[in-house]
Amino acid sequence: MKFLIAVGSKEYSESTLRVGMQIAKSFQAAVTIVYVGPKISDFSLPHVRLAQERMEEWDFDRPGVEVLEWAFNFLAKNDYITSTTIESGFPKNTLVQTDGNRCDVYLQGTISTDVNLILRNGDIISELRDEVARGGFDVTIIGGSQKRRMAHDMIQYIDSSILIVNKYNPDKTYGLLLPVDDSRKTPQAVKYGVRVAQAFGIKVDLLTVSKTNKFGKGYRNAAKRAAKMMRRMGIEYENHFKHGDPAVVIRETAGNDHIIVMGTSTKNPIAKFFMGSKPLQVMESNPCPILIVK
Amino acid sequence: MLQHIIFWLTQKRWLLFALAVGAVLLLLPVPSSMESMQGETMTDPIKAYRTMIIVIMAIILIIFEPVPLPAVALMMLFLQVILGIDDPNGVAKSFMNDAVFFIMGSLMMAVAIVSQGLDSRLALGIIRFTGNKTWRIAFGFVGISAFLSSFIGEHTVTAMMMPVGLTLIYNTSTDRDATKNLAALILFSIAYGSAMGSIGTPSGGGRNVIMIGYWQEFGLADISYLGWMRYTYPMLLVEIPIAVAILWFTFRPKQKVLDSAVRKLKVQVARRGAMTGQNILAIIVFLIVFLGWVFFSKKMGLGIIALIGVFLYLVLGLIRWSDLNRNTNWGVILLFGAAISIGLQMKETGAALWFANSAIDIMKNLSEDISILRWLIAVLLTGVLTNLLSNSATVAVIGPIVLNMGGDPIVMGFSTAIASAFAYLTVVASPTCMIIHSSGLVQRSDFLKAGWKMFIMSIVILFIMSKFWAVS
Repeated sequence: MKFLIAVGSKEYSESTLRVGMQIAKSFQAAVTIVYVGPKISDFSLPHVRLAQERMEEWDFDRPGVEVLEWAFNFLAKNDYITSTTIESGFPKNTLVQTDGNRCDVYLQGTISTDVNLILRNGDIISELRDEVARGGFDVTIIGGSQKRRMAHDMIQYIDSSILIVNKYNPDKTYGLLLPVDDSRKTPQAVKYGVRVAQAFGIKVDLLTVSKTNKFGKGYRNAAKRAAKMMRRMGIEYENHFKHGDPAVVIRETAGNDHIIVMGTSTKNPIAKFFMGSKPLQVMESNPCPILIVK
Repeated sequence: MLQHIIFWLTQKRWLLFALAVGAVLLLLPVPSSMESMQGETMTDPIKAYRTMIIVIMAIILIIFEPVPLPAVALMMLFLQVILGIDDPNGVAKSFMNDAVFFIMGSLMMAVAIVSQGLDSRLALGIIRFTGNKTWRIAFGFVGISAFLSSFIGEHTVTAMMMPVGLTLIYNTSTDRDATKNLAALILFSIAYGSAMGSIGTPSGGGRNVIMIGYWQEFGLADISYLGWMRYTYPMLLVEIPIAVAILWFTFRPKQKVLDSAVRKLKVQVARRGAMTGQNILAIIVFLIVFLGWVFFSKKMGLGIIALIGVFLYLVLGLIRWSDLNRNTNWGVILLFGAAISIGLQMKETGAALWFANSAIDIMKNLSEDISILRWLIAVLLTGVLTNLLSNSATVAVIGPIVLNMGGDPIVMGFSTAIASAFAYLTVVASPTCMIIHSSGLVQRSDFLKAGWKMFIMSIVILFIMSKFWAVS
């Protein structure tokens, strides 16, 4: 498994990094942390590069390096990187330019061998999309403090599962809400839900929502299979069957103390673009972290 | 697959918009005001109309950047042939001229000069000149940036001054909140000082050379290097203290004296060692180029002399071709060449004259005095566009229009070239703004805070100068 964690700034991204690393640990995933700095227009790029070369001569870091250094310190403090890596300090000098607007540095991790720090400049969605395509990431993690439009575009255009760490409070006890139905993405969502529940040691609420009064065979079987999985993995769970509009019921059940894990919409991209989708509605209306599994 | 297509469409929406605008305009009939000009001043209204369509499409693409800028340049060139405005050889001829040589040469010389590491010498110069009081340091940054950029161009100076400014800021404190205003004061002193200074001589910016090229091309005037300075330097000297006052009162810093920061800077500079022979040689080459500009530019052209300078930097081993190649903005050279080419077509087809007349017609209610009106249109149009496009591209496109508005072409041309330096309002206005923004110490909103005052101040001074400062 490969996780990509996008951090914005040290002020706002601590919970994104904390939650991301905690979940990555449960998956024993290779982690890449990326910071995307502002886009520099074509007019200015060579001039800015020239100015940055001068600044490096005077021992000033390229903007954004301080965010990677902060991420390094976080990893060191929480033992996510090996002691030898910690002792040698943040390897600023090995930050290698790998592309016109991308440079990276490798660290030795403890949960998996690779921890990679990347600095990019440009439009955030395009850069993350490019990074996901380049690195073949399974999950991309971003903070919830980002613009709503950005989270929307991430779900729409990034080709990996997306975790949006929205309004996460480390002092609060969370439950895990796992909506299940007969869609083909549910089994994958259940697998991810198990790992997240294990990472945080929390109870799972399995939720089956029907728009009518009846629950079809497919829905009942999905709930049954999810429950069996929870039992097998030794996770405390509860099954809920509710009626109504799925997005509304999920919002009411989740409140503000659940991490939501759900499968992505299987609608075609054009329908999603014009009409939205259930995960998008849930993401927009819920003040809690949400993992949308693709 | 579908997802990729939707993503591409959302990313390229401004390209699609520009293409749609172009297609719709092509289908519409030629404006009657353009048709009625046929004969005396306009040879072919269809060509003129199609030239305007290319200009509109290019402006949309440059402002919103949905495609790389060099692609816009290529589009401006091939559309001229496809739409039947000119034949391939005609387009090629209008694409390359002395102004493009100058832009190419000066961008390459900038790389060569910046790579010499003369910034530490500048640091010492500023400190000697200003002492340790903050307002005097700000004055020093504005003054020296303006002076240097008037000869070697604004981006070169900003790139060299940035580390000096940042060293002073970080020597004062590494706490960003404590130095927020100080950082803004020093960095804007560098960026705005450089921008202001670029009007000082023809070599201060490619757009000045573009204007000189238009004057010559249209047979309106032949301005020498020193002749240009006589017109613009007084304005620059008046602007400097006012700009310092504007920046000081906008970003009044807590630190009124930078005693220890200056001392630390002196130690840092001393550690970097004395000037090398290579540094001295680089300065001598620039002085040779400068003397060439002053004494031979009328005969040889500013561009050719700049290329001689690049040749000298290369053969004397002062810069490696690989470094020059990597850091020169080839895309911008292409774009400016294409913008000049379309500018010449605007003049040739009569589109520039049509636009000039239409603008005066629309705005004639604003003032009864036609000379003030046409001046105002030229300066405001240039001032606004330079904050959205780039200053050279603005002059390349606006130049022929302004020179067709009537009135004294020298006053109008100077006013346009000078107004194109008023790129104070946005981060994207010019590379100098982008360079200081890329430090992470000034926010986008800071640009407007001081920028609008600088913009108004500059327009008022330019108006006074245009009215009372005659060119001999």
